[in-house]
Parts: sequence; structure tokens; C-alpha cells
Amino acid sequence: MTMQKRVVEISLKIPDNTAYTALVALRRLGVDVARVERGELRAFDDGDGALLERVESDETIFNPNIHRVTLRESGAPESGEVWIESLDGTVPTVAWRLFDAGDRAVSGHALRTAVDRLLCNPSIDRAIVGCD
Amino acid sequence: MSRRIAVLAFPGTNSEDETVRILRDCGGDAELVWWSQAEQLAQYDAYVLSGGFAHEDRVRAGAIAALDPMMDAVIDGACAGKLVLGICNGAQILLEAGLVPGTGAVRQPTAAFTKNLPAPHFVCRHVRMRLAIDPARCVITAGLEPGALIPAWAAHTEGRLAAPREHLDEIVAGGHVAFVYAHPDGRVDDGAVPNGSALGCAGLVNRAGNVLAIMPHPERDAWNFNHLARSEGDDVLAPSGGALLFRSFVDAVNV
Repeated sequence: MTMQKRVVEISLKIPDNTAYTALVALRRLGVDVARVERGELRAFDDGDGALLERVESDETIFNPNIHRVTLRESGAPESGEVWIESLDGTVPTVAWRLFDAGDRAVSGHALRTAVDRLLCNPSIDRAIVGCD
Repeated sequence: MSRRIAVLAFPGTNSEDETVRILRDCGGDAELVWWSQAEQLAQYDAYVLSGGFAHEDRVRAGAIAALDPMMDAVIDGACAGKLVLGICNGAQILLEAGLVPGTGAVRQPTAAFTKNLPAPHFVCRHVRMRLAIDPARCVITAGLEPGALIPAWAAHTEGRLAAPREHLDEIVAGGHVAFVYAHPDGRVDDGAVPNGSALGCAGLVNRAGNVLAIMPHPERDAWNFNHLARSEGDDVLAPSGGALLFRSFVDAVNV
């Protein structure tokens, strides 16, 4: 049987102070953004179709008091989203989603500015930007 | 008249008091400057960024602090030739601000002190930093002997120098590796490196030689009372090895 790799996102269901700090910093840098979401991405084999249940029962990565877990539809970022991947794999990939005042995904220009000015240190990270 | 040194306290800084104390013990006119006093920083002649977790290291170690209004004055001062010393989290901030190694534009980092390897865990270990440059290459180290061994405590999770190969080559070619980890007898090899740091690097200096970023904490080995194993009757308030770097820094500031 071929194992299928699926990406799960683990994010906070309590207020995310890091996302809020990034929002304040990006606005100070002049990026037109009104809301920021953040989640950690992990890829697992999902041969049995029970990946979510297995993640939800793994206490080393998931705490039901503060976390929610979602199964990502694809292995690539969506529009208005960037994945920041550690070049040496020492930290999990982080998904950042930026929204404008109308709660729409920010423009590609705004997203790339956010990546260049704050979200990615290119000496240790790779940014995978979602298509516009 | 001695010149004024600002020790910056961001939200989350935690080594500021001992840093101010050792600078004063070495004759420096050092004061703590809080994040709410950023507009005062331009009046100071030199800056020290001490250890801790500025802005809780949100996003990345040093990333948010590098954008703090306090860093505007530090960057302006560094570009004007003022002396800047960053220790541990302060070093991470200087790299995120692009001031060291300084091989790119300001606020465009070309390297990072990032997760330790082989295990990305917190390390707390007594270490020696060996001066790896001609002392005169960096104004801050000019008062040290060639090859000086500075005792210090490595206490970090993100202390490993990392950069793409071409940037590491540029760091070596430009003489930016100011300190390397060493054994107590001065030998340098991988066994002395507590965190997998590229080039065995414990500290980086910028091209002009006025900005120095070191990961270990010499202010935590600056007095005899920092040593459990000391001779009976020792003056516990006498300076120990870590004070050498601060004395050199203060002398350079007061020239």
C-alpha cells in the first residue's frame, strides 16, 4: 500500500500573541494588513485515513485546551498565505495568512513585503508564497 | 569626562542589571534605558544590548526587537561609528538588524544565530571564547591580548551561526568571526562548540569593527562569586575573566 503524505495545521484557538505582534509590526512597516493568522504545519503519512484522530491524541504536539488541528487540502499555500520553511528543518514550517480590512487575502505585493521585511530571514528560511 | 553607555532594556530583556553593574565596575558610565525611553538613546555614546527574550522572541529570535524604535537610534549610531555590543539575545537582534556581519543592507539579515544542533535544545554550559581576530580589527577588543580566552556562560536555544555557504565564505573572507569557542587550554575544535555553530563561531564583528555580537554571557563570569570552586578567602567581588571584555569595551568607549 502506498502511504499518502498529508499536511496538518496546528493553530491556537486562544488569542495568538505572536500573530498579533506580527500584525502590529507589519502595520508599523506600512504593510496594509488588518488581521494575521498563523499555524504550524506538519506532514504525516495518512495510510489509514485516521490522521486527524492520531494527531489529536499526540500530546507532544497537540493540546486540546489551546489548539485546533485542520487537514490541509493541498500541500501548497493558498492565495494570501505564505509558508516559512526552515532550511535545515530544525523548526516546523509556519503558515502565515494575512487579511485586509475587508477580510480578504492581502495582495501579493503586501504579502511579499511582509515576507521580505519580517516573516522570513532568507539566511535560514525559505518562503513559499501562495499564488495570487 | 567619561562617555555615556546605554544598556537597552526591551520588553523581555533579562540580563540588564548585571550588564550595567559590570560596565560600572570597569569604569563605564552605564545606564539602563527602557523601551519607553527610545527618544533618549541618541544622546548616548555607545550601546549594549544584553541577553533575554526581547519581545518574547516572537516570529524569530530578535526579529521583532530589530524593528523596535530603540533600534533606530542603535542603527544610526552604529552607522556613525558608535560602539555597539550585543550579548546573546542582543547578538541575535544585531544579526536580525543586519548590523553584523554587515555583509548586506541594514535590516536585511545575511546570517542568524538560530536553533542549536545536533539537538535543537537549550544549552547551559561554561565555555571559553577565543579571540580569533587581530585585537585591533575590532575597536571593542582592542584592549585584549591576541588569542585572549574569555570565560563565559553559553545559555541559549538559538546560538548556532547559520547562513548559506556563500555568506559563510564572505564572513570568513571579511574577517567577521571575532570569537570562536575553545577548550580551557585554548584549543579550538568541534568538541568545544556547544551548539553546532558554523565556523565554531561565538561572536561576529562588522566590517568597520565597531559592532560586536557574542552569544555567550561574559557578564555571568565577571566576578569571583560566579565561581563555585574558588579558593578560601577569595574576594568574592573581585573581577574574574569575563570582565576583561567589558574593560576593553569601556576603555574603547572612553578613548
